[in-house]
Amino acid sequence: MLQAAEQPERTRFAASLWRTLMQRPTYLIFAAVTAFFVIFAPNFATLGTAEAILRITALVSIMAVGMTFVIICAEIDLSVGSVASWSGMVAALLLQANLPTALAIFLVLLQGAVIGFVNGVLVTKLRIPSFLVTLGMLSIFSGLALTITDTEPVPIVDDRFSNMFWNANLVGLPVPIWWTLLLVVIGFYLLQMTVFGRRVYAVGGNLVAARFSGIKSDRIKITAFIFSSVTAALAGMLLAARSTAGNPSLGSGLELDVIAAVIIGGTSLFGGVGDIPGSVIGAIFIGILGFGLLVMGLSTSIQEVIKGAIIILAVALNRR
Amino acid sequence: MQPAAGAALVSMRGISKSFGENRVLRDVDFDVARGEVHALLGENGAGKSTLMKILMGVYRADSGSITLEGADIAGESVQDHLAHGIAMIFQELSLMPNLSVAENIMIGREPRGIGWRIDDRRLRRDAQQVIDHYGFPLRAAQRVRELGFAQRQMVEVLKAVSQGARVLVMDEPTSSLSLREEERLFAMVDELKARGIGLIYISHRMTEIFRLANRLSIVKDGRLIGPLDPAATSIREVSGLMSKSGVGPGAATGGQRSAPAADRPAALTVELLSTRSKLRDVSFSVGAGEIVGLAGLVGSGRSTLAKALFGLVSDAHGMVGVAGKPLRLGDPARAVAAGIAFVPEDRRLEGLVLDHSLSANVALPSLSLLLSRSGLPVVSDRRIRGLYEEYRERLGIVARRPGQRAGELSGGNQQKIVFAKWLATKPRLLILDEPTNGVDVNAKADMRALMRDVAASGVGVLLISSELDELAGSAHRILCLVDGRITRELRDARDEAALRAILQSDIADRGADARNRLEA
Repeated sequence: MLQAAEQPERTRFAASLWRTLMQRPTYLIFAAVTAFFVIFAPNFATLGTAEAILRITALVSIMAVGMTFVIICAEIDLSVGSVASWSGMVAALLLQANLPTALAIFLVLLQGAVIGFVNGVLVTKLRIPSFLVTLGMLSIFSGLALTITDTEPVPIVDDRFSNMFWNANLVGLPVPIWWTLLLVVIGFYLLQMTVFGRRVYAVGGNLVAARFSGIKSDRIKITAFIFSSVTAALAGMLLAARSTAGNPSLGSGLELDVIAAVIIGGTSLFGGVGDIPGSVIGAIFIGILGFGLLVMGLSTSIQEVIKGAIIILAVALNRR
Repeated sequence: MQPAAGAALVSMRGISKSFGENRVLRDVDFDVARGEVHALLGENGAGKSTLMKILMGVYRADSGSITLEGADIAGESVQDHLAHGIAMIFQELSLMPNLSVAENIMIGREPRGIGWRIDDRRLRRDAQQVIDHYGFPLRAAQRVRELGFAQRQMVEVLKAVSQGARVLVMDEPTSSLSLREEERLFAMVDELKARGIGLIYISHRMTEIFRLANRLSIVKDGRLIGPLDPAATSIREVSGLMSKSGVGPGAATGGQRSAPAADRPAALTVELLSTRSKLRDVSFSVGAGEIVGLAGLVGSGRSTLAKALFGLVSDAHGMVGVAGKPLRLGDPARAVAAGIAFVPEDRRLEGLVLDHSLSANVALPSLSLLLSRSGLPVVSDRRIRGLYEEYRERLGIVARRPGQRAGELSGGNQQKIVFAKWLATKPRLLILDEPTNGVDVNAKADMRALMRDVAASGVGVLLISSELDELAGSAHRILCLVDGRITRELRDARDEAALRAILQSDIADRGADARNRLEA
């Protein structure tokens, strides 16, 4: 202990950076892939590219923040993509019904919280594995999103709404990036700085020991599911604002990108290990990969193949 | 002299074994004859499981020989020993509950039909033949999941003997059995004896040893005492032989016991605590500053009692008070808030988050008290680290840094981390379930000294231990728990052998009572 304190500040920083890199070898792949695009992809290294990537990554980043809580609890939430689609539809319908924008937003977030609560209760009280509960929810909400308008998209004419979630710029940055930042700050605060966050780690690290320490593990897990679904509802509103319409299938498949982002970011699928910045870096990595391959002129189909292979490689390297 | 018991089937001669500095076995001779039950007794850590692991081929002895019907088999692998016919009966562990009795007995050598398919009919017929041969009450088609523990052990035994086992090691076979099941197990043992199988029977329950064994031996401090003829000795004599003679009462522990504080409210009062299956109307109290020991065999309900008090047993009911205030059972968070701390039996599973840092583990139950002084609802890492350092010094925990993973520490230091985590909550009552289990001698002494210090500071301590000298040396009072009931209370019991004899006679009484009720 004393030795560590006597070390000069700079070597300690270098040592901790080295440790981080050793723990997260994926960051090396991340750097290599980015460097590759910077060198070989035309006009890749520009501020405009960075902004575009962050903007399209916003959806995955926001949901990755919520998903990180669930996965650190050693659970999984497969329903976020379809909950996002559904929430976009709900938002569009509420606005169509001429509700005040603020009220509509509040109600969308609230129904997201209710979905998360149901997920959490089914997982903890009925002891159904979260994989099955949220797989069922995925199906239910993608079905509901399609049914509610008979697969018709619902146009959004409320400019305030679209500006608020997608179109406007604030201090030179597009609002989706601001939303991402806000969620990252909230997520980081909750997970890494509060008592609740420490308990999330303990529940995922050893559920039995956590219960034997007087932690109400069910409540912790339910809260994590609520947070995940609320981020999905928020992402759904961003999606709807982006296409100025509630579209029942916009969010489908997003859950896979979200889970991939969290795992690439160093969070363990077995629970107890992980953090918010890692998940966001993971999301940005997936964004860079997609955008870079697009700029390189590869077809979307082959993009999927390369993306999948790199994700497997990254996760393989992350296993300790 | 040794009672004659036919020619030895397997014989171990001059076995010695050390782990590092620690000499676990010294020059041990042990043998089993055909059709004989040879009982093996000894304290936890006396070396009996090491002796059995050498017999099984898990460890190699440093010196000595193992012969099976005269042929030397020492130094071969577990597979070789199994092939020679030496098998250990585990409790249900090696069975597959989702498969049938027949599939379990014949696993790995199922009869094949055309196209490598398993011939189910022959499988069942072969298995039923084995069952009938030994006359056990089993059906080949039954799922193992539906069987009681005694029947599961029968399946294990059949699996072993049908593969040619001639020597069976049974380790605490009755510890999870009901009385009715025990009778079945004893009948099985008689059956196996009659068929010429040699049995090594490890148990803490002397009544059943005296009932079943042809010979008995005691492992103490790495040496073997015996074999003795059960007809020529008594439970009392064997108890005396087992206890750690040479260490006078109290000498191992320093012998100082502070007087409990009579003027303060009791740390714990329990009235008529029961659970559906394990506890029956348990009532007792623990004074502030008092150490109350709980003696009883594994399965007597000791751990259940601890877990029930801590709110981990859902069907527990009764009146419980902590430091004068009533406690509603059923929620660990309430128990912690009321001032109960619980050092559980299995520190790796129940006590620690092994992948997390030492400081995170120590802080876990008291996180909400470790907020930043700025007033924000933010956990202060500096205070967590301060807490860790405080207890590291106080308990003498040997570790590299606060961020080290808990899983990297030795057993004794891990246990100190669990202690630290609970002492940090400033408890009124400390429940210790086998606190010195699996830690080295020095850590044991540390732990006992710590326990007395904690009690001297006014905390009530409920100590559960299988090591009777630990109870005799530390506790102000000792409660004997037999089959979920408190049978008696002993004050200032300092003689380990007397304590053991009393406990064994209570177990025998209750067994007789229950047997009478079964027959009535």
